[in-house]
Amino acid sequence: MKPRIDMDKIAKGLGAKRRGKVRVGGGHFGAMQLVAEVQARFQVPKGGGRATDPNWKTKRLVPLAEQTLRRLEQVSRDIEEKHHVRVQPLQVAALLLGKVTENIADEDIEQIVDSVGSSS
Amino acid sequence: MTREARTIYIDRVKESPLSGSRRKRLLVVLFIPSVERNGITQIDQDQWVLKALELFGRVFGGATAYPKAQGVWRDDKNDRKLVRDNPVILHCYMVPEDIENADNQASLGEFCRKMGRETNQGEVGLVIGDEYLAITNFRKG
Repeated sequence: MKPRIDMDKIAKGLGAKRRGKVRVGGGHFGAMQLVAEVQARFQVPKGGGRATDPNWKTKRLVPLAEQTLRRLEQVSRDIEEKHHVRVQPLQVAALLLGKVTENIADEDIEQIVDSVGSSS
Repeated sequence: MTREARTIYIDRVKESPLSGSRRKRLLVVLFIPSVERNGITQIDQDQWVLKALELFGRVFGGATAYPKAQGVWRDDKNDRKLVRDNPVILHCYMVPEDIENADNQASLGEFCRKMGRETNQGEVGLVIGDEYLAITNFRKG
């Protein structure tokens, strides 16, 4: 669920003016967010190996389009080249999936499912 | 034409309902300028970054400041002059309740006003969630 916060109240408390929505999902800003998530959450397991989020305990099979995988690989390469942070393409997928799942409204999910259902 | 499907493994977060309610899922971003409003006079940016990190650590539990970026700001009250600077961008993930707390808002608001006042800014910018907030009145609260 999307965090429901009272922005009017927060703006008043800070003495700030609301200037409008920003798009935080893409571009440099989005990449910076992913880097911040990786740095904040990833840890090297006690027994060694690849750094990961210790809260990720469950694995499931998820079907994926080639195009999606290519995009994930590209994002992973970009983050490593520009920010010197190593993150695997499917770790990017897990981060994005977690973020979208947390922030998307139930009605938006229903709309997406409906649109996929009607086009198939 | 047949589409090739690939199946992969990804991981899934498994948490109790209670732990989810305290998850740090709200991103707050603060822009720390490098120059005054005139675009020329350098400010002690490093000191302000340290002060901001200290505040976000103490009040919100942590933050990450990124290396200098390139920025531009249009000063509408000064003939729409473009002010170019190299801001440091600070990211802080917090639980939404932390920013809704009046004391925390007062601490963050006072910090932004102080930075704006002492470094002679036209505006101090914050992004909370998906919204940009601007502080332009730097009088002591």
